[in-house]
Amino acid sequence: MNNTITFLALFPFIGALLAFVLGKQQAKLAFWTAEGVSALLFLATLWLAYQYSTPISIDHTWLTFGTRSLPFGFYVDGLSIVMLLIATGLGFLDIHFAHDYMAEDKDQARYYAKVLFFIGGMILLVMAKDMIGLFVGWEFMGLASYLLISFWHSQKAPSDAGMQAFLYTRFGDMFIFAAIGLLLYFVGTLNLVEINTLAQAGGIDHSVAFIIALFIFIGAIGKSGQFPLFPWLMNAMEGPTTVSALIHGATMVNAGIYIVARLFDFYLSTEALLIVANIAAISAFIGATSALVQTEIKKVLAYSTMSHLALAFVGLGVGSLAAGMMHLVNHAVFKALLFLSAGAVILAAHHHKDLWQFGGLRGKLPFIAAFMAIGALSLSGIPPFSGFFSKDAVLTAALRNPETQGLIATLTTIAALLSIAYIGRVWLLLFSGEARDANLHQSIQRPSLFWIALPLLIMSVLTLMLGFYQSEIATFITGKTEASPHIDGLLTGLIIGLSILALIVVGLYAKDLTLVKKMAQHPFLSMLHQLLFHGYYVEAMINWFSQHAVVNGAAKASAWFDKRAIDASVNGFVPATQTAFNGLKTTQTGRIGDYIALMVAGLAVLLIVMMVGI
Amino acid sequence: MSPFALVFGTALLSPLISHTRWLKGLSLLILAIAGFNLSLGEGIGLTYFAQTDAIRFFEGIILIVAAAIVLHFDHDDHGTLTQLLLIVAASMALLESSTLLSFVITFEAMSIISFVLVSNIKDSKQAEGAIKLFFTGATATGIILFGLALFTLSGHSIDTALGNDYDAFSLIALSLIFIGILYKLTIFPMHAWAADSYAQVSHSNAAILSALMKTVVAVATFHLFSPVLAQLSMPSIYGLATLAVITMTLGNMLALYQRNIARMLAYSSIAHAGYMLIPFAAIASQFAHIGLLYLAVAYLFMQTAVFLILARLYQDDGIETLADLKGLAQRNPLYALLFSVQLLSLAGIPLLAGFMSKAVAFYAGVDAGLWLFVLIALLNSALSVGYYAWIIKQLYFDAPTKDRPLVSRLGFVLGELILVAGTLYFGVVAIDVFKVIGGN
Amino acid sequence: MTYATLIFAPIALAFVGYALFSQRGNVVRGIALTTFALQFIVAIGLYNQLPATGYLDLGAFLSVDAFHFALSLRVDTLSVVMLLLSTMLLILVTLSSWTMEKSAAYFSLLIGFSGAIMGVFMTTNLLWFFIFWELTLLPMFFLVGIWGGEQRVYAAIKFFLYTHVASMLLLLALFLIYKQTGVWDVTLIKEAAIATPALVWWLLFIGFAVKMPLFPFHTWLPDAHVQAPAPVSALLAGVLLKMGAYGLIRFVIELMPEVSREHALYMLTLGLLTAFFAGLLAIYEQHLKKMVAYSSISHMGLVMVALSTVTVEGLSAALFEMVGHAFIISPLFLIAGMIYHQTGSYQMRDMGGMMQKAPYLSAIFVLAGMAALGMPATMGFVGELTVYLSAIAHYGAWVAIIALLSMLSAGYLIWSMRRVIYGELSPLMRNSQFVIHRIEFAALVVFGLLIVLFGVYPQPIFDAANHSFAYFGGRS
Repeated sequence: MNNTITFLALFPFIGALLAFVLGKQQAKLAFWTAEGVSALLFLATLWLAYQYSTPISIDHTWLTFGTRSLPFGFYVDGLSIVMLLIATGLGFLDIHFAHDYMAEDKDQARYYAKVLFFIGGMILLVMAKDMIGLFVGWEFMGLASYLLISFWHSQKAPSDAGMQAFLYTRFGDMFIFAAIGLLLYFVGTLNLVEINTLAQAGGIDHSVAFIIALFIFIGAIGKSGQFPLFPWLMNAMEGPTTVSALIHGATMVNAGIYIVARLFDFYLSTEALLIVANIAAISAFIGATSALVQTEIKKVLAYSTMSHLALAFVGLGVGSLAAGMMHLVNHAVFKALLFLSAGAVILAAHHHKDLWQFGGLRGKLPFIAAFMAIGALSLSGIPPFSGFFSKDAVLTAALRNPETQGLIATLTTIAALLSIAYIGRVWLLLFSGEARDANLHQSIQRPSLFWIALPLLIMSVLTLMLGFYQSEIATFITGKTEASPHIDGLLTGLIIGLSILALIVVGLYAKDLTLVKKMAQHPFLSMLHQLLFHGYYVEAMINWFSQHAVVNGAAKASAWFDKRAIDASVNGFVPATQTAFNGLKTTQTGRIGDYIALMVAGLAVLLIVMMVGI
Repeated sequence: MSPFALVFGTALLSPLISHTRWLKGLSLLILAIAGFNLSLGEGIGLTYFAQTDAIRFFEGIILIVAAAIVLHFDHDDHGTLTQLLLIVAASMALLESSTLLSFVITFEAMSIISFVLVSNIKDSKQAEGAIKLFFTGATATGIILFGLALFTLSGHSIDTALGNDYDAFSLIALSLIFIGILYKLTIFPMHAWAADSYAQVSHSNAAILSALMKTVVAVATFHLFSPVLAQLSMPSIYGLATLAVITMTLGNMLALYQRNIARMLAYSSIAHAGYMLIPFAAIASQFAHIGLLYLAVAYLFMQTAVFLILARLYQDDGIETLADLKGLAQRNPLYALLFSVQLLSLAGIPLLAGFMSKAVAFYAGVDAGLWLFVLIALLNSALSVGYYAWIIKQLYFDAPTKDRPLVSRLGFVLGELILVAGTLYFGVVAIDVFKVIGGN
Repeated sequence: MTYATLIFAPIALAFVGYALFSQRGNVVRGIALTTFALQFIVAIGLYNQLPATGYLDLGAFLSVDAFHFALSLRVDTLSVVMLLLSTMLLILVTLSSWTMEKSAAYFSLLIGFSGAIMGVFMTTNLLWFFIFWELTLLPMFFLVGIWGGEQRVYAAIKFFLYTHVASMLLLLALFLIYKQTGVWDVTLIKEAAIATPALVWWLLFIGFAVKMPLFPFHTWLPDAHVQAPAPVSALLAGVLLKMGAYGLIRFVIELMPEVSREHALYMLTLGLLTAFFAGLLAIYEQHLKKMVAYSSISHMGLVMVALSTVTVEGLSAALFEMVGHAFIISPLFLIAGMIYHQTGSYQMRDMGGMMQKAPYLSAIFVLAGMAALGMPATMGFVGELTVYLSAIAHYGAWVAIIALLSMLSAGYLIWSMRRVIYGELSPLMRNSQFVIHRIEFAALVVFGLLIVLFGVYPQPIFDAANHSFAYFGGRS
């Protein structure tokens, strides 16, 4: 087992190097290396899951400085294994899918190396025993996402998006970095398990724990694209769609949830959970509403990720680890499915992404339409697809917690219901009705069954199956028996709400789009549309702040001070000495009389001084 | 035969062979023999004169530097050569003087020779420099003699060594003499003439005036007056230290933006006079004597060297201003290197004599409790890098304005190598200077 | 062979080599490489000979008993680590300057510099330390002044004067120490013997702080670094700045631990101010090399923060950060220099799309940049983390504001990468060829490997650090 864990921790990076080196020899080798490596990783994870009985813990000291040692251990329990399965399993499918999706790219070696690195970062993160290892994996993913989002580095938009992703997530990372020190200072350990145990036993000061929990959650906000650090998630759509699937399904965004889940006992002991729930409810609402009006396929999906991760956070925030984690697991699968389906469409359409250019693809891409429908139904929370169960569990948990029954539960419910509206809109705009761009429609090619449709099929099956194993998986994750609680009437209410919304969407988007266009003319609605389309202008506000408060504010003031005050006072010596020089030069008259006079005068003064001294 | 007699005699006889080509060689030979005799421990051997280890050591250094100057001279500089030998002889006499009487006499003799030296006038500028030297020198002589008269009035005899138990009146008399001597050391407020004279007389004469004579006067004065200085009260010591600080600041400030190299070096010489006054003020320290001697030795090497290089550059290429120096490193790398090393030494950059000597001398200041003055001195020394580095900038960082290559001259280069060897040796090996002061 | 040869032979060799081969730069380059390699090997030999505690005595030379003054050579782990770092950097810098023009003079100066550096790190005599300390200025002055950019004269003279003035304070402090204790040898001085500790401490501190450099004494650095040719910038950052930190450790903290503890808050404040202020300057900076220079200052601020704790942890972290800083900032400077060489501009707004022209060069820039912003698996992360942890353990929770630095550094580095490496090809980049000599490129690769190697496996450096500072405080 320990060997498997070591293998999992190291092999992705070796594989990444290998993929790059081999890929530089021959482009196809990069793919095959990556495919092989990720398959092995998945198999290793399966083996680990198969063998798993009790949590495995490996201690390892990374470095010792002075009297202090920094640990770098591994800890694998049910939660880790589920996350590992997601990361390696979806990672493998994603790589498989990329065979066609990235087929024409000339930088395959670089691509696959980075993807493997990405998966490696996630593996490190979920297997980490200490904050250090967790932070390493955390940062690796930040780096990998930066490199992958700006994979098409020669274009402006991906480059900007990569930078934005890095800086936004880095903003959160900074708090985690701070939390590491605070944990060491106040709690005295970086061991995640010990932190949980200590917190449960009440061994951590309350206010300290609150601050630390808050700091870690800010990190999670950044990574998981929650309010207000979400705009990077939308702009990250500039990267290849396979990367989006990886970020949204297998790796990156799950990390934020994972870190809260990993420290769940710690969080339970603080008031920070309520903040988690609040932020998550707001994020869920913003994500769901903004997703309604996006025009790019991937942006809709991105906002829906934000919204659904927020639902998972709500699950955690209201105190149910099982609900939150299950939603994360379900979401990972159906979101990967949705992204890859979207990727298939985009690939078939030669990288066109605007929803309004499509329409009527049902006939051209029947499999994709079916797979995407399964993903969409799961996302909407239609039974018996997996999304339904976890969403139900989250809402139930939110309603049952007296602290969150009000606003949080309301916002969450709205967000949960709205998902059918935006995803239905996407599906309808893509597959139903008439082709809106005839040329594009003509040029669409049917993708390969093995490379494109097979991964989608597998994910669809998973999405279907997951729904029936909810409580088993939840038990596996939490280590406790998890029965899914129910609130009477909730199910009925949800179904009714969903049906109404579904009807509206079908009415608006299925065939005739004239009503939608007419609505867009309305001044109030178009204003609302703008607000939602721009994600409530959060990005603009952050940009404004960083531009005016940081770069042109503090930084510019520092530069001014540096130049005009500090350096000027140094350089000021030059004119000062020049003045002194010019002044003193006048004493050097060149007339002997003056010199002798000076001598005699000086003599007199000196004698007086001497006499005083004597 | 005593080295003094040897050199003095040669100087007197030298006009006889001044039209042959042998004088230069003969002078070198005599200097070498004198050095040998010196190493045997021979002094002047007359009454009122006495030789210590330190003095003998310094006389040896003078002989070496004199040899370097001789090597630098062209064959038609015979008049100057004679005067150089005379000055060397007078220096020995001055250094060995053990009484006020012999000191004042040899001091005046030296002044007169210096007047003769600069009287070899070739243009009006040199005339002006010579006249300034003469008039201020005469005034200083007046002051010294006045002090001497007062001293005798107080009932002390002037033909014994100075003691350490003087009353106020005789101390004032001695102070007067001391202040008169400060003129030669170009201490504020008696510095003004020096800048003009050093810059205006010919550069090789300036080398003799500003390096050789100044250091000799400093060492001899310290030698004679140290018992008196030790008697001074703290206010007087602070007064002396203040003079030192004012002198060096003035010198450095005025040197900073000079465009004429000779003038810049003249002011730098004034600044160095200020440094040399620090050990005088630090008389309470056991390191004051070593510090002064070290400063004198180092300064002798480097100041002589820079003025000789300047003389050579002026003679061969007409270089006068900083702008003329541009790109010298490309026209004659050897000259540029020699020049830079000596300039850096003057600036007090380590591994060169300039640093080591300042370190010891300034430490003496700290040792005597004058650390604030030493701080100013150190900052002055740092400030001086401003103009020394500016010269080096012209040498190395700028492109030459003239294409004509500058041919190295053998004799000159040999002389310079001797001087640079001194600068380097005393920059690394400090023990020799410490040794001659003996145990204390 | 005496160890003094290690110091004086290179200095002499610099002149001899130049005199003999002034027209044949390749020969001088070979001599330089051989010299540095030999010094490196000797340093490794010294490392293996180090005793379990205290110093390895290498003899005393040029003794002047009356002045207690001798070139006493003693090394401990700290000095040997610095020797190893310096000689390694010298080798890499030589490789990076493979195609430098006027190479005979250039490499002669490097050889001379190496001698002075050996002296700085090997002697424990205060005055001799000062001698070599100042001597290092000279080659740097010429390297900046002759091979520098447009404002090289201004930068060279400012650098020379500024640091020289600061050194004078240092010298005064050394004088005072000798006056009060009667010994020049730092290993023999007892803190209690220093009569005016606060005065001496401040003089020493400012003297070293200028070299580090700390706010507000940092303004010489951007000018010098920017004007210097890239390999010399790397040398300045990698060796000269380290001398300041080394001086602080050896002659301030080790010499006067008690006084240093009393002044810890000043050190901490200045360190933090430096780190943040320089970070903000870097954000506002348009000039690529200047941005790197400010980043360099910012990291030295972190070193100061760690040093201010006066604990074994802090000193170890500082030592690691120093080594890391040398390996991280050097390639950034070198690549900035290469970009300038190819495009003729340092302005980041004129750049963009370098990845398309020079992918591997860009990759190393990204790697070094990531290391500078503290990405795990690079030396930057280990340094930042250990500095932070040592500081928070000593000062308490509020030191967590150090974390803000990781945002600042990400800000300027990621943004500069965006402007230089990513994006569409700028016209300037389009017209550039990016022909990099393979040896110069190899040097960059070595830097990259070192960054990752010690980032993943930092223990060797910490072993050395723990060894250096294990008995810290016990020697009183």
